[in-house]
Amino acid sequence: MNLGFDSEQLRVLNWRATNRDIAAVVGPPGCGKTTVGSALAVKMIAETLATKVLLVAYTNAAANEFCLELCDILGSKVAKSLCLRTGNPTGVDPSIPIPFSRSANEIKEKRIIISTNLSLKKLPALSFDNMIIDEAGVERLEHLLWPFWFGVNKSQVEEYKSRYDTRGDGDGDGNTQIPFKINDLIELISQCGTVATVVGDPKQSRPISPMRVDYSAIEWVIKKSTCDTLRISHRLPDLLSGLVNEFAGYDGLRSAPEISSRRLVLECSPDIEYREIIQPDEVTTWVDINGEEQPIGPSSWANNMEAKACAKICSHLVRITRSKSIAIITRFKAQKLTIMRYLQRMGYRDIKVTTTTGALGTQADIVLFSLTRNNPERNVGAAGTLQDLNVAISRSKEKLIILGNFDMMSNGWSGGGGGASAGNKYQYKSSARKLARLIDLKYGRVVDAPQMIIC
Amino acid sequence: MGDLIVRDLYKTISHAQKTHLVQSKEIATSCVCPYLFKMSYPFGVVGGERDYVIANTVHDAISLASPTAILENWQQGKTQNDFERIAKSIDKDSEDILQKAIANSKSRVKMEGKTPLLETFDFEVQDRFHGLLIGLAKRVMKKYPQPKRAVTEITITNVAEVQEGRIDAIFEFKDDRYGLVEWKTNDVKRASGSGVDRWQLIANFLLTNYRYTGDENNWNRCLFGSVIYYEGAYFPRLPLSEEWLSKVKKDRKFAHEILCGERPHAQKPPFCPVCDRDGESRSDCRFYREDSKQALLGNLPVDYANIRRLLLRRRYLVLDERAETHKHKFVINTIIDRLGEANALQELEKTGVINSGYRIHSINANSVTLVKKYYNDDEATLTLLEPRKIVRIIGKEDNGIPLLACVNEKGFVREVDDTKLIVDFDGNTIAERAKTQLRNLPIIIIPDEINLTRRVLEPMHRFHRLAADIMLPPEFFLGVQNNESGF
Repeated sequence: MNLGFDSEQLRVLNWRATNRDIAAVVGPPGCGKTTVGSALAVKMIAETLATKVLLVAYTNAAANEFCLELCDILGSKVAKSLCLRTGNPTGVDPSIPIPFSRSANEIKEKRIIISTNLSLKKLPALSFDNMIIDEAGVERLEHLLWPFWFGVNKSQVEEYKSRYDTRGDGDGDGNTQIPFKINDLIELISQCGTVATVVGDPKQSRPISPMRVDYSAIEWVIKKSTCDTLRISHRLPDLLSGLVNEFAGYDGLRSAPEISSRRLVLECSPDIEYREIIQPDEVTTWVDINGEEQPIGPSSWANNMEAKACAKICSHLVRITRSKSIAIITRFKAQKLTIMRYLQRMGYRDIKVTTTTGALGTQADIVLFSLTRNNPERNVGAAGTLQDLNVAISRSKEKLIILGNFDMMSNGWSGGGGGASAGNKYQYKSSARKLARLIDLKYGRVVDAPQMIIC
Repeated sequence: MGDLIVRDLYKTISHAQKTHLVQSKEIATSCVCPYLFKMSYPFGVVGGERDYVIANTVHDAISLASPTAILENWQQGKTQNDFERIAKSIDKDSEDILQKAIANSKSRVKMEGKTPLLETFDFEVQDRFHGLLIGLAKRVMKKYPQPKRAVTEITITNVAEVQEGRIDAIFEFKDDRYGLVEWKTNDVKRASGSGVDRWQLIANFLLTNYRYTGDENNWNRCLFGSVIYYEGAYFPRLPLSEEWLSKVKKDRKFAHEILCGERPHAQKPPFCPVCDRDGESRSDCRFYREDSKQALLGNLPVDYANIRRLLLRRRYLVLDERAETHKHKFVINTIIDRLGEANALQELEKTGVINSGYRIHSINANSVTLVKKYYNDDEATLTLLEPRKIVRIIGKEDNGIPLLACVNEKGFVREVDDTKLIVDFDGNTIAERAKTQLRNLPIIIIPDEINLTRRVLEPMHRFHRLAADIMLPPEFFLGVQNNESGF
């Protein structure tokens, strides 16, 4: 099977199709994690390496993405006959041709089942030969256990259990020992016949956990089992893939040759005030802006000046690049809603504004990223985590515009509270420092916000 | 108190205490046997997959009939012959409600792809509904005058006592007293005066006292409490015995401590309806008791002990996540305690935690449209509500009823802008109930969350038992039927 996959994707596909164990596939931004997951399911069925495959996603949006990829690979007609989407009907995209059902009989009939993790409990008692679990960077170890349960091989377990009846004489001479050593949970599950590929990127997402520091599901698998990494990005042009590679430490992420030199093409020249910001040759531009942060709600932040600037730049971009998709990303829900409010007042209801969590798995031609935090203590807080910054800077296909106080970010702290002067022992240098330095020195340009976008 | 103090409270409250709430049902389970509670939390043992479609349909119908047909047909002091007549007239007046509830259940079963309902479904629902009405007429209506109001399916949260519960129905009488009713719809058996029904009723008594007097120990306004079952009712004599009350409080504390990850002493009662009657979780209960015992004695092999420890640690982490879902209620309650309700609500609104000033504009099939009473574009604070967010719509009642004990319904935000909010409910019945109970009351919206922790705990239980099956020889668990990991 070769449907235009790159060499890395083919390597991973062949590796996972022929190995019957639990392993991780790390996919940096734009490397096609969902594509590889869907292709692997199709390959297994097509080459009769499996009779039933389960595709699991954390969110309904990601499960819908799986369905779209399957339709792309198989064509709508075949996808309809082979695949079935199950779970919560309200989260299903009705435009996708793959049928939806919760009926046990229909689920039993189909070969590829797509579901969200939380809906797995409602699946009938079935066994799957292979499981592909996406977005495992957001999930925790316990979230892998439902999908893994569907892979446990009943007869294999019965065989292990029966050893006590057939060989065990209870005299402690070692006859009852199982023929392998089990060191941890992943190994136990693997020995019980579960075959699974856990896909994700721990550098793009973290699990939501009550614990301050917790491993994500994919980190567990990486730690306890084998792992491979995709390194060809089909989204990011050379300068952006370089920035992302150095920032997140992917150790060799590069752009696919056909998109490497891609740059923003404008339909008409930008107004003079915006010229420096929307410079097409400069893939990344940092607009240095000194707006005031405001606390909103239990833990969110907004920055009116940045929100207004985002809306104005966006409005200008719409005018000069009509065919391009634009997305605005921010770490904070309050800032997202503030930007949306400004855009609505300006009559733009269709521009996508999202938080970094919501941006996972999405892309746009032009991305504006509002950093929001700005305070004298230089406390960047949650806005300065590696994963959030990495997601925000890696959604863009042609142009990335970052809005925020450059000085604050290049000297920022994360963790604790109260800033550097407070001497908080839980504080550490924010990843935003590295990002600011890389953009300033190597991959982009820092420009002052023009007066007209901040007033 | 400024915005930042509310925010600080959000940050610090989890350090000061775990924000767990114990549900009345969990208290009742704990009262029956502490180990039975531990089966659910932290172990994640899930009971049989019994189908409660009939019970839920009857529950839906009777929750809508209580403030309407039941109240209208209420007659005190009637004789034996009249009960059937009263029940029939309620039946007749609730015909529409019952048919809608049946139709909703059927379409839900179809949509969810569940096993098709039996042909006798309609009859079973009607019969059970009628049986409950006979029970109500025979035992409750006979004794008490017509109430002035009925509130149904109301969630009451008493944060100070870490308890929450959903009350089936409360009848309010003219002399400001109230009667608490629980419907037993899951079968046609008598409610047991010694089992879970009694304990749940007592736990709910405490919540209802809190709603009407602000103090769970103040019984001045309590008139009666009853579990209505098919053609009968269980009526504990009031005042309740101190022994019962202290047991409920003690077991509430026990359940709370378990949820918080502490290790309170658990004592198996002389008779447990699960272990001593071959109930469905018997093997699991014995397994976990023996597993803990062997672990304490240090008898478990190292590799199994490591997996066991990991699974237990992850379970308590999941419980911490459950506590997070109640955090908003703890913060709101703490601010109300410090500032008084009016000031606290202002402060919480300013910070963006709650949203007030709404009134109900219209209620459709399964959604409600709320509009802001006053809207000033310049003064408007940013609302953090957005589509798909889970919210609790509270109808603020008078008479000093605490905010978290007022009538309320849970829903999902569908649309929101500066002046309007559309909230979807999980079904037609909730929308109908909202129409009756929330209309004409000032509306306050607070953030809420769903608790899905049991779904996450269940596979941990399965793998725990699987690990024991594979890694331990049977002699480790003398008396426990091993090899029961689900295969």
